[in-house]
Amino acid sequence: MSTGTQVVDHAALKVNQTGIVATVLVAFLGSLVFRPLLVLIPLLAIVLLLGTFAPQLALFKQLYFRVLKPAGIVKPRPVQDRPEPHNFAQGLGGVFLAVASVFLLPVPVIGLALALLVAVLAFVNLAFGYCVGCQIFFQLERRGLVRT
Amino acid sequence: MSAQLWALAAVGMIVLAAAGLENFRSRRARTLAAGATAAPAPEPYILYFTGDSCTVCRTHQEPALARLGDVRIDKVDAVSDRALADRFHVYTLPTTVVMAADGRALHVNYGYAPAPKLERQLAEARGTTLSAATA
Repeated sequence: MSTGTQVVDHAALKVNQTGIVATVLVAFLGSLVFRPLLVLIPLLAIVLLLGTFAPQLALFKQLYFRVLKPAGIVKPRPVQDRPEPHNFAQGLGGVFLAVASVFLLPVPVIGLALALLVAVLAFVNLAFGYCVGCQIFFQLERRGLVRT
Repeated sequence: MSAQLWALAAVGMIVLAAAGLENFRSRRARTLAAGATAAPAPEPYILYFTGDSCTVCRTHQEPALARLGDVRIDKVDAVSDRALADRFHVYTLPTTVVMAADGRALHVNYGYAPAPKLERQLAEARGTTLSAATA
């Protein structure tokens, strides 16, 4: 085994996934009555992409580390893990949401479907612990396409 | 309204297609890996394919393996030991292979395999070993 593991707080990941699901749902359902709420999708794309490259700018994780954890609302769940696959998955979600944002005005069906897909995958990870982005990372790593 | 409904339908279809594809892929990989062999051992054992990027391995699979008790578990890094991983058509992590004592793969589980399932497969593997020894 390679020795890239460190301690990753999985509670922060769960809060991040909850934030993604909630934001997309608010945008999706809210746009039925108030269309400008769709702006949440490009904003979420920015949040996820920024958080991928600069963890201190990851909005939901910072919410966890600065508010939810100190207040004892969410308990920490430290696990020996690697942060890279999770960051990759978050970045992939951000890219999908960025593409969704491009389609939102000209072809809203594609934009909404892509955003909803990101929410579904985040929910699957949140509820069942199955991270599609991490599996893609494993495949890329096996083929030597990503180096850590 | 109609855009939201169409988007919902599209995502539903994508999810169904992905589930079908995953099912096909695991069946195909299981068929291809069925005849694969590894080193023989005195008792049936488990080949456990994992990797640093696998969170489910640490949070679910390893506790399940720990519950099996006195069973030999060969932990294999699917990224660094690619030849062995390819032999068992490992396309996802974790993958557990229940090996017969003669080194044949009896059961291949792609994805998380709970302890009761592994126990059942090991019991079957022990039965196979016993019947081979008495034949």
